[in-house]
Amino acid sequence: MSFLWHGLTQAWHLIVTGDPYLRHLIWVTIKVVVVSTAVAIVVGLPIGLLLGLGNFPGRRLGMAVANAGLVLPPVVVGLVLSLLMFPAAPLGRFHLLFTLRGVYLAQILLALPIVVALSAAAVRAVPAGLLAQARALDASTAQVWALALREARLGIVAALIAAVGSALSEVGAVVLVGGNIEGSDQTLASATIEQVNAGHFADAAAIGIVLLGLIAVVIGVLTIIQQRDETSLTLFRSG
Amino acid sequence: MTDRILTVDNLSVRRGRRTVLSGVTFGLTRGETVAVLGPNGAGKTTLLDAVAGIAPIAAGTITTAGRVATARQSADLARRSASKNVELALAWWGVPRHERARRAQAALDAVGAQTLGSRSSVALSGGERRRVHLARAIATRPDLLLLDEPFAGLDHEVRAGLMADTASALRGSAGSVIVVVHDRAEAWALADRLLVLLDGTVAADGPPRQLLDNPPTPQVARFLGYTGELRFPDVVLFTRPAQVVLDPAGEFVGSVRRCTPLEDGTRIEVDLPAGFLTTVTPVEAPPVGADVRMRVTGGVRFAASAVAAGSDRA
Repeated sequence: MSFLWHGLTQAWHLIVTGDPYLRHLIWVTIKVVVVSTAVAIVVGLPIGLLLGLGNFPGRRLGMAVANAGLVLPPVVVGLVLSLLMFPAAPLGRFHLLFTLRGVYLAQILLALPIVVALSAAAVRAVPAGLLAQARALDASTAQVWALALREARLGIVAALIAAVGSALSEVGAVVLVGGNIEGSDQTLASATIEQVNAGHFADAAAIGIVLLGLIAVVIGVLTIIQQRDETSLTLFRSG
Repeated sequence: MTDRILTVDNLSVRRGRRTVLSGVTFGLTRGETVAVLGPNGAGKTTLLDAVAGIAPIAAGTITTAGRVATARQSADLARRSASKNVELALAWWGVPRHERARRAQAALDAVGAQTLGSRSSVALSGGERRRVHLARAIATRPDLLLLDEPFAGLDHEVRAGLMADTASALRGSAGSVIVVVHDRAEAWALADRLLVLLDGTVAADGPPRQLLDNPPTPQVARFLGYTGELRFPDVVLFTRPAQVVLDPAGEFVGSVRRCTPLEDGTRIEVDLPAGFLTTVTPVEAPPVGADVRMRVTGGVRFAASAVAAGSDRA
């Protein structure tokens, strides 16, 4: 148990002294979270809406693919991607292997099915009668989609939380594609692994504690956003 | 030029292989309210869907002048306040932002929901949801408003209140209305005109009182509540319960087949050699099998040849 205590004091020390190594890890982690989640939302949300609200051949297949993507082992994704990124491989000419851009790509591929599958399920749960009523009062397709998104906002924010959570804590694909290079593409989670492998348990615990703190802040903010509307929709308010 | 809002000409609609509507023809002038009444599966909702442009037409034409709004049967509301729900509908309809709040409040007032504006939709009762749902459609002020069973699933008391408010809201609106109803009482309360759909065709079209007093066919008579049928050599007399009175000096004798307790008395079904009669009496019901004498005070006559043999009595 001494590591934990040592880790805690170490973490405190690293934070208050503004340690450059830790600052860089935090900065890289935040960049990976922001880029991968933003791209997954921009690309995945329209696909999720289409799969959730559309009625076209292949919709079920699309849902099956997205659902399968939810449980893809990150290590396998990382392995396949890194093989594809070798110099002679199809993605070789983009020079992505062992770079932060490669890590972004891996993390986007992991976050995308989360956003697609969870947002499709969320909008699918919106009462069909409400959307049909909107159409019956001349709502445009964009207005129907906006209504579905707003009605499904609890589930949509849950998808966002899951995507952010994956980017914060994922290591398998990040290590394989990024190479876990200190000062370049190392994140808080992958740095924890490196410190453990090097036998620096207190440092690993310190970085882990910082990571947990970051997760608490980010997920806390997202949860407040998610629940904000719900408090104004309490069941028993009158007048 | 007549102010025609809707012309339906020889309309047929198929769902899969089944013909749901065939040869439906009727029209609607501005300001008219028509109730569509029919048993389950008669094609009422399909008719509304066809007029709204949702159901594909197999044959015939539908011509509308102006915009059509539908309040569908399910009263699903968005998760926001009642007035915001109505304002949202006005946004869909294309009403400028600055007019929405005022029009939403006016519509909520019209359906007796003036106090519900700030309430969240999830805190509304079934009847309140129906009011907001109705306000949402009325607020758009369409040229033709289609209402699909606006009182479905409400208990008697709530329904009566909402029906009265809806009737006054509809009379106050300039547009035309087609309202699908399940219950005859709703048709009497709401409509200037009644359209009876039986088996996918228009079986009767006219003012409610006129159709009730003079149903055009035996089928319509049965559907509108003529529950007694007495066969004579050339004619069959159809009677409503109110037109049959238990009377020891009455000319008709029959034996009681079934008694059903009602709120204000008992419904008695009596078998006679020439047919059957039904009456509602406030007095204590005679036992099943007992002989009773009755007097018939009214009814409509159809030629015996027009009444199918083996009629499906109620």
